[in-house]
Amino acid sequence: MRWVETTTTVRFNEVDQWGITWYGHYFAWFELARMKVLEKFSLLPEEFTALGFIAPVVSAQCEFKKPARTNDVITIQTHLLKPQTASLTFRFEILLQNDGSLLAKGETLQVLQRLDGTVIYKLTGTLKDRVESMVQYFWPD
Amino acid sequence: MQTPLLERNNLLVNLKELIVRTLRLEDVSPEDIVDAEPLFGEGLGLDSIDALELVVAIEREYQVEIPDAEVGRRAFASVNALGDFILEKSSAQKASDAVG
Repeated sequence: MRWVETTTTVRFNEVDQWGITWYGHYFAWFELARMKVLEKFSLLPEEFTALGFIAPVVSAQCEFKKPARTNDVITIQTHLLKPQTASLTFRFEILLQNDGSLLAKGETLQVLQRLDGTVIYKLTGTLKDRVESMVQYFWPD
Repeated sequence: MQTPLLERNNLLVNLKELIVRTLRLEDVSPEDIVDAEPLFGEGLGLDSIDALELVVAIEREYQVEIPDAEVGRRAFASVNALGDFILEKSSAQKASDAVG
């Protein structure tokens, strides 16, 4: 089981008046990390669209363990769960880089739709090939 | 050999068990599911994620594919509709196997 790491620094505008990261920003960091993964497999949003699909997030959850503060360097670890259905579930863990402590962990679930909004239940063609190579990357036999 | 009617009735019973088992429905037992009631929305209240799981279970159990929500709208209209869809696709599959 593999994880992909992305690093970023907490910006001043991401913390609230209590000096800790506002909770909604963790989802933006999930997004940053997910894009880095999707880029490797030619599955960025515009590449999905070129194939005739979109992959909207239909569920997202996050547990906040410890606050991140301005200028903290954080590592977002990303992992893809083995798909049991025609959907993508990414799991994330956000760690403080200097001591490795866990700040937050969460998950997003994406379904796959054609551009007309029809949810697809089975992957086919190029989309299937690209998703399979991403699964293979995270779950090498 | 079972009559077609008995075969269909057994299929509907099995489908209700499959739905409850696959979706881990805690407050619904197979007997609670009404044959003609919609599975999604106002009926049994299933959603698109439930559909994704059901599709996999149906393919594994009956070797019948439901490729997308457009076909799913017809197949998942009710347990009656799902049973008829599976019978129709299985007999089409048998016919093409016989020819092929």
